[in-house]
Amino acid sequence: MAATQEITEPLLRENITRAISDVFKTMLAREVTLVSASEITDLQTWPPLGNSADAARSHVVGTVGFIGDINGLLYLYLDVDFARMATSHLLGMTEAEVDEAGDEVINDAIGEITNMTVGSFKNGLCDAGYPCKLTIPSILRGSNFCIEPISSATRQIYYFNCGGQRVVADILMKVGD
Amino acid sequence: MRYKILTVDDSKTVRIIVRKAFKSYDCDILEAGNGVEGLAVAAKELPDLILLDVTMPVMDGVEMLTKLKSDPALKAIPVMMLTAEGGRDHVLKIAKIGVRDYLVKPFKEDVLIEKSGRIIDLKPLSETPTKVKSIFDPATILVVEDKPAIIQQIQDGLKHTPWKVHGVAAQGEAIDFCARTPPDVIIVSLSLPEESAFALFRLVRTNVKTKYTPVFALAVKTETGQQQQAQTLGFGAIITKPIDLGELETKLAKAMNLDTSQRYYSFEGDSLIMRLPENCSPSVLAESANYLKPKFSEAVDAGTNKVVIDIHQLRSLHMGVIKLLFQAMQTCRELAMQFALVGNPHIISECKGFEDTRSWTFYDSLEEAKANLGKPAGGAAAPAAPQLAAV
Repeated sequence: MAATQEITEPLLRENITRAISDVFKTMLAREVTLVSASEITDLQTWPPLGNSADAARSHVVGTVGFIGDINGLLYLYLDVDFARMATSHLLGMTEAEVDEAGDEVINDAIGEITNMTVGSFKNGLCDAGYPCKLTIPSILRGSNFCIEPISSATRQIYYFNCGGQRVVADILMKVGD
Repeated sequence: MRYKILTVDDSKTVRIIVRKAFKSYDCDILEAGNGVEGLAVAAKELPDLILLDVTMPVMDGVEMLTKLKSDPALKAIPVMMLTAEGGRDHVLKIAKIGVRDYLVKPFKEDVLIEKSGRIIDLKPLSETPTKVKSIFDPATILVVEDKPAIIQQIQDGLKHTPWKVHGVAAQGEAIDFCARTPPDVIIVSLSLPEESAFALFRLVRTNVKTKYTPVFALAVKTETGQQQQAQTLGFGAIITKPIDLGELETKLAKAMNLDTSQRYYSFEGDSLIMRLPENCSPSVLAESANYLKPKFSEAVDAGTNKVVIDIHQLRSLHMGVIKLLFQAMQTCRELAMQFALVGNPHIISECKGFEDTRSWTFYDSLEEAKANLGKPAGGAAAPAAPQLAAV
């Protein structure tokens, strides 16, 4: 089994950037660009930082795990308004129809977007010699919350700009074994 | 036959996307949320294609596929994986169990349709199945010809129609155009370099969006070898250069299955007007004759018993026209309809030259004919009502 330490940060960055770009372009017809944390002047308002001034902003967070030679979880953060817009595009519905269909539809759509993103991300890792499988997606919704990794996990956070909307990928991986 | 496609995915989102992708094709979409449900639906409905996800609760796609392939009643159903699991080793492992194709998410709906179309004979649904398109409806004609003058000639010649004629010079451009806007008819010049007209025809026929689009060949009249090859391959019609634009228009309308009756028949007030154009070629006469009885019956059903047969645009009289006019008059008599003729001086004079048509009486204008139809013969309004004269 490969040790997580062997997976370099550039490999993670390259894979998550490609995965998010592919999924958002193919499924939502939107371009996404990676933004360095140092370029973000209001980083404290971006998720996943919980104690921020903007923490009350509601988010929909998709989570999918990958298990195998490497084990980890990826959280994908979208503002609730952007999640609604993305759902509307993905399903060919108006935003009013999405509202009428309820939050469950948004949860399912963001779950699938996350599933595709993590799938594409981990397929890159599989092909790089770290075979692993996906888990079933789950969704977190709400505001003013913070996910804290256990001490044995490594964490990489990547920030993306999608036409003025922010998308954050928070990757937690188990160290060792 | 209406195909059944079963989508097995725990994500309702994916099932909705699949349904959306296939909505303009003649097929039913069945849904299941996991492998157990998938097997149950497959056994009950025997779908023609299964789109299968891998990661699902209760029973995953690999287990469902394995069980499906070990069931003699279900193993022949083709399966296409539609999953985010796309690592090389994983794909190879699943391929060994037996799948027809593998589509990794994220996916474009077009790609899903194209791949499915390679497994089952998907047919696009007619946009308006209950209403036949008429000659006044818009249509898109794609002309693939490397000589701009020919494209221009076709565009000019069809300018009076509501059809949009798009010209492209090469096979690649044509494929791109078809992917963006599937045309109603494609006209391909056989003189494109390196026999690319035939290669294009094959590509058009393998694409699910254009599989049933009529394709015409455009060929120089003397190039009979090429024309034969096109006919053998299955081109819908051969249009020879120099192009007879009237013939092209008729063939296009026929290929698009358009209702062309409005060219010859219309209702004005309480009268049915039957009109013949300037040139009555055999195809025009046949087309007009096809609609004659249905249109006259339609008029009677609508309470109209007056018909004006307007041939004032006609340039010359010939046997084909005379036969059609006799048929129209006979139909009027059978249906107890009154009729009047409108002609021009040249046609009226030509009628005097034939024994059968000598006694026909014409009005000079449609208005005059309509105004006098139904008035008693021999009344103040001359000429005499033709239904009494042209027997």
